[in-house]
Amino acid sequence: MSTATLPRTRPKGRDNPSPAGAAPKRRRTGWWLLLAPILVFDVVLFLTPLGKLVASSFADNAYQRVLEDPLVVRSLVNTLTISLASTLVTVALGYVIAVVLCNAGNVMRVVLFAVVLLPFWTGILVKNFAWAVLLQDNGIINAFLRGIGLTDAPVELLHNRFAVIVGMVHCLLPYAVFPIFSSLTSIDDRLGLAARSLGATEASVFRRITLPLSAPGVSAAGLLVFIISTGFFITPVVMGGPGDMMIANQIDYYARQLTDFSGAAALAVVLTVMVSILVAVYQRVLKAGGQHEDN
Amino acid sequence: MSTSVISAHQKPQAKPAGQGAIELRQVRKSYGDVVAVDQLDLTVQPGEFVTLLGPSGSGKTTTMMMVAGFEDHTSGSVLIDGKPVDTLPPRDRNLGVVFQNYALFPHMSALENVEFALRMRKVPRTERRQRAVDALDRVGLGKMGDRKPRQLSGGQQQRVALARALVFNPAALLLDEPMAALDKRLREQMQEEIKTLQKSLGISVLFVTHDQDEAMAMSDRIVVMRDGKIVQSGAPDDVYNHPLTDWVASFLGDTNLIPCTVVERTGDEAVVDLGGLGRARVRDRGAQGENYAVSIRPEHLKFSSAAVAGNGCAAKLVTSTNLGATVRHRLTAGGHDLQLRELSSDSAARFAPEGEVWVRWDADKAQLLVLES
Repeated sequence: MSTATLPRTRPKGRDNPSPAGAAPKRRRTGWWLLLAPILVFDVVLFLTPLGKLVASSFADNAYQRVLEDPLVVRSLVNTLTISLASTLVTVALGYVIAVVLCNAGNVMRVVLFAVVLLPFWTGILVKNFAWAVLLQDNGIINAFLRGIGLTDAPVELLHNRFAVIVGMVHCLLPYAVFPIFSSLTSIDDRLGLAARSLGATEASVFRRITLPLSAPGVSAAGLLVFIISTGFFITPVVMGGPGDMMIANQIDYYARQLTDFSGAAALAVVLTVMVSILVAVYQRVLKAGGQHEDN
Repeated sequence: MSTSVISAHQKPQAKPAGQGAIELRQVRKSYGDVVAVDQLDLTVQPGEFVTLLGPSGSGKTTTMMMVAGFEDHTSGSVLIDGKPVDTLPPRDRNLGVVFQNYALFPHMSALENVEFALRMRKVPRTERRQRAVDALDRVGLGKMGDRKPRQLSGGQQQRVALARALVFNPAALLLDEPMAALDKRLREQMQEEIKTLQKSLGISVLFVTHDQDEAMAMSDRIVVMRDGKIVQSGAPDDVYNHPLTDWVASFLGDTNLIPCTVVERTGDEAVVDLGGLGRARVRDRGAQGENYAVSIRPEHLKFSSAAVAGNGCAAKLVTSTNLGATVRHRLTAGGHDLQLRELSSDSAARFAPEGEVWVRWDADKAQLLVLES
């Protein structure tokens, strides 16, 4: 740590007192004491249980057992595909909202911010059940579809993958909107003006200027949303069908139904490692892409 | 010191003669009740360098933005080469724009920045590259094409912005305070380079600045703006030496304003009563107002060895300050504070402080003007 070099540099400072008469430096021997509370907290309440969990995952051949379970493999695949789909939809939708936010007038901006932030402050259970009410067979959306004569029988909108993704996107949207919004607002308006004066159409301005310059916000949003979505638990239960269980549901099943704690621990470790590898690959790809932004 | 980097002798771009006229007819811009630009008439002749000079809020930048097409005017008409462009989007106006902060695309190299306009015009790749390299060469940055804007100095960024605005042979160049971010020495160098480049290309320029020195140094014609209106326009030395109002006189530099009453006006000249300083014959441009004054630039007041009848008076020397190249003398005469500036090489220590002196001025360097304030 850089602070550790302080005692060595201090005597030198004394030999050459600054002419301005700077205040003498305080001794900083006790600096690590300030870190003590959070260190104790972290070690006792986070690192120790995490270590125990990892240790217990190696008991009883747990890895082999869970990875041979076809349901586990199924839910791992579900987790990846549902998370990927939710991330793509969330980032695309978030980008549109962020662009609208950027161009909105003051009143409109406040209203839109409230709309985007509201799901942020609402419990996930409430949001998912609200969607369930909307999407069910005799819900508002089906009633509307029947009303305009588009369909006779109710369209199945709930308890399938579509519903899971709808519920997840609703929860994830704020995490995408804000990084993208902040990268959009940091783009100098005059770049767009300059591009237009040089002959660019609105579409070219977006493709050549806005999109590449907001890429950091998009990639940050994608990463954040993907990591959060891999841990979804309630939404597949409330809105999904039996084929939409994700890895978090499987961990719950192992821990509470099978009381197989080493299996549950092994699943948690598998999920963490998998997501870590994906994140590392993602960042490697982004870095390589950043080397040559233009074709 | 440093030689001009922009070479003037390179072959000018092929460009039909007589192009690049900009005309504004009765152009007005209002935001609700606030009038930013009021019934403006302005013409930039092909090849002419016209400066819009005014303080912030005078409407000069708004005027430029309306020519570029970034702002819609409330009424009136903008014409480029005789054709109305009021409904044309900026991309179809064929004008090169250089912004105050250059607005270079940070994610593109200098070369890609310059290429951008050609890419938008679907110029084939090899020709595009060649023309961009030529344009960078012309501003002395031929070897810097690979650099990103953040790897370039302020002066180099400015040159890239110029090359980018010129590479597609625009009808005219619009410059919005392009040198505000540069230090004084570099600014003076860039002024000369831009002027040289403009002359060699024969391109019309509409230049926006609040810096009167810059306007004086570069313009064929200065258009002084205040509160959305043109208050005076003309050749730089004409506007400087013959201001119509005390505001223009003060905005363009230091001046001595002596309130007066008009005795007689005869076309180009007038006889005025300067109160305690007696009568004098001065230049007159027919400006009408309630109160009048005579403006004499400090460098046009001269010490005189003897009393001069008419354009001269007795004065008392108060202080003399050596400013390096020039010496500034403060005087009082007939109850007025006067300022006299002369080259330090001309200024011998011939006057004792608090001494009685004579000053005089040439009749054509004293301008009758309207006192607004």
